[in-house]
Amino acid sequence: MKILVCVKQVPSTNEVRLDPVTKTIIRDGRQAVINPFDTYAIEEAVRLKEKHGGTVCAISMGIPATERLLRDAMARGVDQSILLTDRAFAGADTLATSYALSLGAKQVGDFDLIICGKMAVDGDTAQIGPELSAQLGIPYVTDVCEILESSEEKLRCKKITDHGFAEVEIKLPALITVSKDINMPRLPSISGVRFSLQAPFRVYTAAEVGADVNRCGLSGSPTQVVKSFTPDRTHQATHLNGTTSENADAVLKIFEEVR
Amino acid sequence: MQAELIKPMSEDFADYLRDESRSIGHAEHIAFPHSEEEIVAALRACYQQGEKITVQGARTGLAAAAVPYGGCIINMSRMNRVTAMRHENGTYYLTLQPGVVLSELKKMIGSKKFDTADWDEDAKQAYVDFCKDGEFFFSPDPTETSATIGGMVCCNASGARSYHYGATRPHIHRVRMALADGRIISAERGKGRANGYDAVFTCEDGSQVSAKVPSYRMPHTKNASGYYAEKDMELIDLLISSDGTLGVMTEIEVTLLPQPQIIWGVSLLFENEQSSLEFVDQMRRTVEGVASVEFFDTGALDVLREQKRKSTAFSALPVIEPFVTTVVYVELHCDTEEQAQQRLFAVGEAFTKAGGKEENSWVARNQSDLDRLMFFRHAVPESVNMLIDQRKQKDPTITKLGADMSVPNEHLFDVVKLYRATLKENNLESATWGHVGNNHLHVNVLPNNAEEYNRAKELFKTWAAKVTEMGGAVSAEHGVGKLKAAFLTIMYGEKHIDEMRALKRAFDPKWLLGVGNLFSEKEGI
Amino acid sequence: MGIVIDKSLCIGCGTCLGACGSGALEMTDEGFAAVNDQCVMCGMCVDACPVGAIELKKDVGDNDISAYHGIWVFAQQSEGEILPVAFELLGKGRELADSLGEALTAVCFGSNVKNPEKLIHAGADSVLLADDASLAFPMDLPYADLLTNLIHERKPAIVLYGATAFGRSMAPRVAATVGTGLTADCTILEIDEETKLLRQTRPAFGGNLMATIICPNTRPQMATVCLGVMPALEPNTARTGNIERLQIKPQQFDAVKLLNTISEITGDNIIDYDILVVAGKGVGSKENMKIVKRLAELLGGNYGVSRPLVDAGWAEYQHQIGQTGCSVSPKLLISVGVSGAIQHLSGIGGAQTVVAVNTDPDAPIFGVADYAIVGDCIEFMQEMIAQLEEK
Repeated sequence: MKILVCVKQVPSTNEVRLDPVTKTIIRDGRQAVINPFDTYAIEEAVRLKEKHGGTVCAISMGIPATERLLRDAMARGVDQSILLTDRAFAGADTLATSYALSLGAKQVGDFDLIICGKMAVDGDTAQIGPELSAQLGIPYVTDVCEILESSEEKLRCKKITDHGFAEVEIKLPALITVSKDINMPRLPSISGVRFSLQAPFRVYTAAEVGADVNRCGLSGSPTQVVKSFTPDRTHQATHLNGTTSENADAVLKIFEEVR
Repeated sequence: MQAELIKPMSEDFADYLRDESRSIGHAEHIAFPHSEEEIVAALRACYQQGEKITVQGARTGLAAAAVPYGGCIINMSRMNRVTAMRHENGTYYLTLQPGVVLSELKKMIGSKKFDTADWDEDAKQAYVDFCKDGEFFFSPDPTETSATIGGMVCCNASGARSYHYGATRPHIHRVRMALADGRIISAERGKGRANGYDAVFTCEDGSQVSAKVPSYRMPHTKNASGYYAEKDMELIDLLISSDGTLGVMTEIEVTLLPQPQIIWGVSLLFENEQSSLEFVDQMRRTVEGVASVEFFDTGALDVLREQKRKSTAFSALPVIEPFVTTVVYVELHCDTEEQAQQRLFAVGEAFTKAGGKEENSWVARNQSDLDRLMFFRHAVPESVNMLIDQRKQKDPTITKLGADMSVPNEHLFDVVKLYRATLKENNLESATWGHVGNNHLHVNVLPNNAEEYNRAKELFKTWAAKVTEMGGAVSAEHGVGKLKAAFLTIMYGEKHIDEMRALKRAFDPKWLLGVGNLFSEKEGI
Repeated sequence: MGIVIDKSLCIGCGTCLGACGSGALEMTDEGFAAVNDQCVMCGMCVDACPVGAIELKKDVGDNDISAYHGIWVFAQQSEGEILPVAFELLGKGRELADSLGEALTAVCFGSNVKNPEKLIHAGADSVLLADDASLAFPMDLPYADLLTNLIHERKPAIVLYGATAFGRSMAPRVAATVGTGLTADCTILEIDEETKLLRQTRPAFGGNLMATIICPNTRPQMATVCLGVMPALEPNTARTGNIERLQIKPQQFDAVKLLNTISEITGDNIIDYDILVVAGKGVGSKENMKIVKRLAELLGGNYGVSRPLVDAGWAEYQHQIGQTGCSVSPKLLISVGVSGAIQHLSGIGGAQTVVAVNTDPDAPIFGVADYAIVGDCIEFMQEMIAQLEEK
C-alpha cells in the first residue's frame, strides 16, 4: 500500500504574548512543531504500512525549515518525504495550499491512500483534507476515529458525525482525515532518529511540480485577510471580592433568582 | 492570643493536621498570616504562651515535617505572592513569599506573566528587561509541583534535574527568617560565613544569635538529612534544610537560570536490571549535558501496566512491551541541535554496550513528546498510590513505605544488590523508581498487611545503617521530618545529634519550633 | 506582489518588526522597514503599521463576478428535522440580504424534510429543497455534488454553512470544486458598505487574534459559521415564500458507502439543562471533576468542559462546549477554571447569566462573564457544595 501523509508545520503554542511596554507581539524562541493532528495521521499510515506492506511518504508545503519536521516524521516510521517550497507558494490560503499539495501528490503518483490530520491547530479550518480530495477528484471521509478493517481495495472506518458516529466503507484510492481518538502515536527510537538523518528527502519548487503560478500562493488565494485585531474584552463583569464563603453565598442568591 | 489571626482548631481545619506522609497530628490553634508582620505577631503570641509552633507550606512533604505535635500551626498558603524581581549582572532574581506554589511559579516564569502592581520601580524595570530577554527557569523540580517554595527550602528539595543543577540550595540567594521570639534575621549568598565552626547572625534589632556549627562530615552524595554543616560555611546554608526547627521563613529570593536551548529526553528499555545499572555507570562517565537520569524497575512497570489496563486515565502512556524489565530515562540539556544529536547517539552507544538495542527506546525531541515521558514518570508514583489505596480498604493500618536514601557513585551496584537481596529474604513486594544518576532510588514496599508493613519498617532501619557505612545519606531529598528522625540518629550518632540540639537551642531556646522534626528534645525520646 | 512598504509614509518606528511572526522585517540603514524573504505574507504588519505605510498587494484577477446574486444558507437536517443552526444563519442572512437588497434562499437536502416553511418563517425569501431517499443521511459526496451543480446553475453571491461537523466537512469540497474561498468558523459577518463585499471575521491563533477576511474576486463568497453566535429571528408564521422542490435525481457515489450510524447523544444532553457548571484546565485534575459533578448535581444541572479536558481524558466528548463541541444556552452558567479561548466562548454565547471563577484576573472568560470571582475555583466549589448540603 502506498500511503501519503500531509504534514503542516505549526507554532508550538497559540499563545500570543504582548510586550508589556510596546504592546507588540513577542516572538519567542519556541520551535515550530508538526501539527498535532498530523502526528495521528503519521501513526495511522505507519500502522497500515506495517500491516499491508508498502511505503509511507510525508508531504508538506512550507518554508525550507520544514525539513526538520519531515525528518522527524521519518524518525517515526515514515519512509520518505517531499517538501514543496517556493516563493510562489507563500501567502496561500486553503485553496492554493490544496492545489500545491495535489501537484505534490501527483509527483508521488499511484498512491492508494492519503491521510491528513483532521485540522491544523493554528488555522483550525479543517479544509485541507476535503479540498485536496476535490483537487485530486478522489473520494474522502473526514473525522475518522477508527479504521475497523483495511485491505488494498477499501477501508471500513468509524467516523465522528454531528450526532454520534457513522460506519462507512470507502474505496481506494481515497483520502481520509483522522481525529485524535484514532491512535496513540509512537515516539521515535534512537535508531529511528539515525535513519531520519539520511532518509530520502526531496525538495520541489513550483516549476518542478508544473504549477500554474496564478493558482499558487497569494495570487491563487481567493480569500485575503484585511484586518487582524485582538478580541474586544472590555465587557465589564461585576466583581465579587468577598471571602470564599461570601462569594459562594452571592452565587447561590443568583442561582435562586434564575431558577 | 490575637483572636483574628490565631484561630482555635476546629473540624474545618482537620486537613491541616496531616500531610502527604499520611500521618495525622494534633494542634490547638492555627494561623494563616498574610505578611511578615502577621507571622511575627503570631510567633510572639505563641512565644509568650510557650505554645509549640509548626510551620506548613502545601503539606506535600513525605516525612511529616508539617504535621503538628500540639500547639499552633502557622500555615503559609496565604503568603503566595511574588513581590519583586531584580536584574544584576545578567542574572534575574525573584523575591517570593514562602507560600508561592512551585507550579504557579513555573507558569509565571514560563509565560513571563507576573502581577507587578505592587512592585517598586526597580523591580518593574527589571521586569521590562526580563520580558525582552531570553527564556529563564527555576531549576529545582520536585515531582510534586504543588509544593511551596518555603517547603522546598525547608527540606532542600530536589528532583530529577538536580543531577545536573543541584538541589534547591544553590538556587536560593537570600532568606529572611523570623525567630521564635519574633526577631528577624536574614542571610544572603556570598555575604556572611561562619568563622570556622562559629556562626553569628545579627538580628534586625541589633541583637545577635551565636551558634556552633555541628562538627560531623556530611556525605558526598545528594543529601537532605539534617543541618548543613561545614567549616567556614555560608550562613545562609544553615537556614536551608533546617526543617522548620530554627525559624519561620518570611521571604525567599531565588535565582533564575537561562533556559537551555535544546532539551531532549530518551527512555531506554532494558531486558534486565543489571545491564541498566551498567549503562548508568558507563553513560555518566562518557556523556555530557545529562540533566537527569531516572529509573523504573520491574515492580514499578508492572503496577503501571496493571493501572493502564484498568483505567483510561493512563491511556496516553506508551505501550510497555512484556520484555521490558527496567526503564532508564535520560534528559539532555544542550546548546545546539547538533550537540543534542551527538549526545543522543552517545547515549545510544552506551545503551548498546550495556546490551540494549537502539530500537528499544523512546526519544522525545519536542515539548509534547517530553510531556508524554514526563507523564510516564508521574504516572508511576500515582499508580502505586492507587494500588496502596486499594489494599488499604482491606487493612487500614498499612501505608506505602518509601526509602529516600542515596550513596556515592561507587556503591550503586552494592546498594541495589542490598535492596534486592533483603527484599527477597523478607519476601516483600516492592516498586522502585528514582534518581539513579545520583544513586538515589525510592524503594517503595507495597505491604499486603500490617505484619509486612512492620517487617519493612525494620528492614529500612538496617538499610539506614548500611547506607551510612557506604558513605550515603538516609534522606536524600524528602527531608527528615518526624518520620526519619530515627534514621538521622543512625546516620550521625548521638554525639552529633547533641550538637544539632545545641544549635537549635541557640535559635529557639524555648524549643517551640518544628518540635519532633530531625530529633527529639532530649536523648532517646 | 506581496508586502509593499511605502517609503514616503514609513516613519521608521519599528512597530512592524515586533508584529511580524516570521522575522521577515528589518530596518534598513536609511531607517525604513524592509521585507526579506522570510515573509509568509500573513499581513500582520499591515495592521500594526501606525501610519498605513504597508500594503499586501495582490494581482487582481479578471473573473466576471457580476452574474452572482443573492445569499444562500445551507440548512442542514437530521432525520428530517432542520437543525437550529439553520435558523441562526437565516437570522444573520436576512440582515445581510437586506443591506445588499438581495434575496435570501435556504437550501435544504434530505428525505421527508419536515416543515420546510419554517425556513421561510425564519427569514428566507424562498427555499430550494431536494427531497430524496438517498439524501436522508448527510453524506459529503452527494451533497457537495448537488450543491456544486446548483451553484454553477444559479450563481449565488454568498453561501453560508453552519460550522457543524458535516458543514465543516462538506463545504470545503464544494469550495475547491467551484474554485472559490471558504472562511471557517466565522463569528462575525457583515457587508462592507463601500465594496459590498462580505466581511468574514473569525478567530485565529486559538482565539488570541481575530482576523477579518474577504473574498473579492471569486464567487460565491463562502463561510462556515460558528454555532450559537448568530441569533435566530422570532419565527414569523405570516411570512410567505416559494418552496421549490428540485426535480433532480441526486448522483449516486458508490465510492463511499454508509454502513450504519451510531447515535451517541441520547436523552441526557447538556444543551437541555438550565444550569451548567463548566470546567476548564484550572480545576487541576481528573480527580477534581468529582467536585464539579457534585456541584452540578446539587444545583440540579449538568456539567460541561472545555476542549483540553476532553483531550486529556477527564471528561467525555458529549460534555464538550465550544466550537468543536456543542453550544449551550442555559439560564445560569458557572464557569470554573476556564481561561476562555474564543472557540470555547463561542459555545457559551447563549447563556443568560455567566459566573466565572479563575485565578488569572486577565483570563478572557471574564470578558464575557456577568459575575467575576478571581480566586481558586476548587475552594469556591467546595464552599458552594458545603452551603448547598447544609440546606
